[in-house]
Amino acid sequence: MSKELEHSFVTQLQANQNIVHKICRLYTNSTDAHNDLFQEITIQLWKAFPKFRGESKFSTWMYRVGLNTAITLYRKSKRTIDTQDFEAVSFRISAEDYDNTIEEQLELMYDAVKQLNDIDKALVFLYLEDKNYKEIAETLGISEVNSRVKMNRIKEKLRTILNP
Amino acid sequence: MDELELLKKDWKTREQKNPQLSYDDIYSMLFKKSTSIVKWIFIISIGELLFWSGLSLLTPKSSYEILDKFGVTQILWGINIIHYIVFIGFIFLFYKNYSGIKVTDSTKQLINNIINTRKTVRYFVIYNVVVFVLTLIFINILYYLKSDVLIDYIKEQNGSIYNPSTFLNYFFIIQIVIGVLMLGLLLLFYRVVYGILLQRLKNNHKELEKIEI
Repeated sequence: MSKELEHSFVTQLQANQNIVHKICRLYTNSTDAHNDLFQEITIQLWKAFPKFRGESKFSTWMYRVGLNTAITLYRKSKRTIDTQDFEAVSFRISAEDYDNTIEEQLELMYDAVKQLNDIDKALVFLYLEDKNYKEIAETLGISEVNSRVKMNRIKEKLRTILNP
Repeated sequence: MDELELLKKDWKTREQKNPQLSYDDIYSMLFKKSTSIVKWIFIISIGELLFWSGLSLLTPKSSYEILDKFGVTQILWGINIIHYIVFIGFIFLFYKNYSGIKVTDSTKQLINNIINTRKTVRYFVIYNVVVFVLTLIFINILYYLKSDVLIDYIKEQNGSIYNPSTFLNYFFIIQIVIGVLMLGLLLLFYRVVYGILLQRLKNNHKELEKIEI
């Protein structure tokens, strides 16, 4: 029975691992931290899996556990070197040399998103994943109206980061 | 915002850039140990519960003998029984809160549950510190009021005391210094340990509260 459970879990997680990688990319700044967080999310998913009844899709359930782990449970290790500033700076230099192509604009956008706080990041992440406001609200435990308002504020925030 | 829509389109195409883990990679992770803060909070909380319950066992026998001579054994017994009932109540609450922490709850609920679990243990510690301080004060007042009994007892144990009043002065100063030192260490411990563990959680909790206003 437990072997079956293991097999079913690993197969489903492997098929949906992109969701976890995307969360890790948003919440960490180095490969080591990425792998650490991936492992922690996997452990949390596995611990919660026996109670997963299939009422929702496996992927929907993964969003919740994954984000909760990244936001509340995961302890950033001290060894993690923050590379964000360096990347942002070097990028701005190259952006001056060339035309502001779409590719560059996107890079700046990603940088801006990474500068948001944990909760804002979660909203943006769910938004990018094409979740509706009802799902966003349920995942974070806030009201639907407030999640809309919050999302608009985040858009403003991103605008300020991009055009200081 | 157009840029965010642009990002949304790009977001999907970026999926291919993610590393892809094999079945075996993921399988091996199932047996790794969690490093989540809940686990640390749990371990430290258990440590605190053990520490405070163990502390009463460390009281030297001689203290009890003196208290016996003071004639307050019965009062202390009564206080002890109440103390253990409160203690069991705390353990029960802690267990109940801890088992209520579910990673499948909403983020806000999850953070609330973790903070509540922590609060229970914090109240337990505050309760213990208060009891500790009150006991210290109570016993020292007793020592002071019945210093002749104390002096007699120490004479019995160690032979003679050269100068009883100087001895008493030193005795009370040492009691106060040790008491304050212990409290200082405890407060430092809580600031450091929980500062590290809970800061991020508290920040995110504040963020969520702000959204609801």
